[in-house]
Amino acid sequence: MFSRNHRSRVTVARGSALEMEFKRGRFRLSVFSDPPEDTELQRKLDHEIRMREGACKLLAACSQREQALEATKSLLVCNSRILSYMGELQRRKEAQVLGKTGRRPSDSGPPAERSPCRGRVCISDIRIPLMWKDTEYFKNKGDLHRWAVFLLLQLGEQIQDTEMVLVDRTLTDISFQNNVLFSEAGPDFELRLELYGACVEEEGALAGAPKRLATKLSSSLGRSSGKRVRASLDSAGSSGSSPILLPTPAVGGPRYHLLAHTTLTLAAVQNGFRTHDLTLAGHEESPAWLPLYGSVCCRLAAQPFCMTQPTAGGTLRVQQAGELQNGARVHGVLKGTNLFCYRKPEDADTGEEPLFTIAINKETRVRAGELEQAAGRPFTLSISNRYGDDEVTHTLQAESREALHNWMEALWQLFFDMSQWKHCCDEVMKIESPTPRKPPQALAKQGSLYHEMAIEPLDDIAAVTDILAQREGPRLETPPPWLAMFTDQPALPNPCSPASVAPASAWTHPLPWGRPRTFSLDAVPPDHPLGASRSVAPLPSQRSSRSRGLYNKGPLRTWLQSPV
Amino acid sequence: IGEPVPPQRVEIHKLRQGENLILGFSIGGGIDQDPSQNPFSEDKTDKGIYVTRVSEGGPAEIAGLQIGDKIMQVNGWDMTMVTHDQARKRLTKRSEEVVRLLVTRQSLQKAVQQSMLS
Repeated sequence: MFSRNHRSRVTVARGSALEMEFKRGRFRLSVFSDPPEDTELQRKLDHEIRMREGACKLLAACSQREQALEATKSLLVCNSRILSYMGELQRRKEAQVLGKTGRRPSDSGPPAERSPCRGRVCISDIRIPLMWKDTEYFKNKGDLHRWAVFLLLQLGEQIQDTEMVLVDRTLTDISFQNNVLFSEAGPDFELRLELYGACVEEEGALAGAPKRLATKLSSSLGRSSGKRVRASLDSAGSSGSSPILLPTPAVGGPRYHLLAHTTLTLAAVQNGFRTHDLTLAGHEESPAWLPLYGSVCCRLAAQPFCMTQPTAGGTLRVQQAGELQNGARVHGVLKGTNLFCYRKPEDADTGEEPLFTIAINKETRVRAGELEQAAGRPFTLSISNRYGDDEVTHTLQAESREALHNWMEALWQLFFDMSQWKHCCDEVMKIESPTPRKPPQALAKQGSLYHEMAIEPLDDIAAVTDILAQREGPRLETPPPWLAMFTDQPALPNPCSPASVAPASAWTHPLPWGRPRTFSLDAVPPDHPLGASRSVAPLPSQRSSRSRGLYNKGPLRTWLQSPV
Repeated sequence: IGEPVPPQRVEIHKLRQGENLILGFSIGGGIDQDPSQNPFSEDKTDKGIYVTRVSEGGPAEIAGLQIGDKIMQVNGWDMTMVTHDQARKRLTKRSEEVVRLLVTRQSLQKAVQQSMLS
């Protein structure tokens, strides 16, 4: 199954036949010609395979933990998508084979079952509450334990992910900013959410339970792929149904664990915020365990296409029952739960107000047939709505038998869609297009010098300034987006004002008690305009031999601290 | 929520450690520093001197100084318009064994929140 010489050993394949095909780099629907939807899926599959190669390379090149976390996440998402697409292609291939050898479509058998229209499903404003115990605040005061978490969402064969956010005990919730949109879902959709987490610090670095240490040792000793695969499959099996994300530990890299999951369906859809239960995976001793409260709060909206796209249109002669004159000739457009009647066809496109609108909802009654038997009034159907005690009936006359049939068909389809999509057809739920997410940047190293070493600053100013000089290396101009989690101020600096850098970032790292007193070097680096020279900020010193010339008379962008 | 507390007088008796007299706290701020990075100030243009850390069991803690306090005066000398180094010097005069500070403090709740973050 695995070849030791294979450079990227990060794939665990589910079915061996698929895996062999995949490894050979050939996966095509070879036997039958591909329908257009399948070529689209094939294209997506090829794209993910390329992305995966890129992610493997990036992971191999990572030196910092945060970069490795992002790269591992990308890799895992790619792997999941690849397997999902491959599974879907396989299913379609099988369906095709069955279809071709089974009954012929031209036979006059029972009419094809009506299927509901598809729709867009969007989940946004996802918030997962955390439940820190009081003791957490005071335990390990010097070490701020951090987790990197993200959500994986699957609907059908589509897999999407949220951005990765960093979590520590100063947060009360995990919040994801972006909204995730699935563009084609049926009313029977199942949206599976999975929360994955990894420790930001190396798992062995913190004083963990002996069990955790033993786990780490056993997973890093004897790098036989079999042992690791077995361990990862075990952890996968224990969480119940197989997770979307395969536990594929990269060689020596960070490892994501499934923390919680849930599945949302049409019943969970609401035009507002709702709280749902989360099934927690694991317990306190599990790796990367986070104290989740057990719910997830979000807005899950669904927009069936029947509500947003016109489903029928044409010329009609409409008469309201009880009126004497001949019906008005209009251009009717059936969209959502309304039949809009415009003066002329162009009005529908130009946004003109319709002449009038007939409601079509689940209470409406439609009857076909020659109701108005006045001479020469064929091809009619009637639509009745009840308003309080009154019943209002409109009679619509189509231009031909065929046109009438089309209208009827559209109306029956609409009623069927309404019965399937239920409350999503009461009114159109607003869905915002997701803003394109910024690609994950190389994260600025959040750690302070406290973690890199302990120094006696009163004695070793030279060493400190050397380090500062080295650290004035490649720095981001803009803090990473997740920094907004830690401060009320916007993450992106405003280049115009002096208070341009998110200051609180330096302070979410608590000053450790009991360590040798050092100068705080957590100060966020100066927000240099492009091309400015980078000078090291001088440190105040107790030594009288320090020359006054060290003081930088220009705008100093540090906020030094001194012990007294 | 809580009202702002009136200015406090804190009298610190320095502790001799070898050659040095120490007070057991750290300061941040100064007119030559970037005030936007001060996590304790309510007004982010405030260039005053703030207490950024108090050593456990040190003279400052014993005297009742708290993290987040803003130092207004030291032994009568103004501390609201000084550079960082001037502030430090005014606190560490070898000839003075006792310093009397005038400090202002945010409301109690805010102070608790700040100390929980550190």
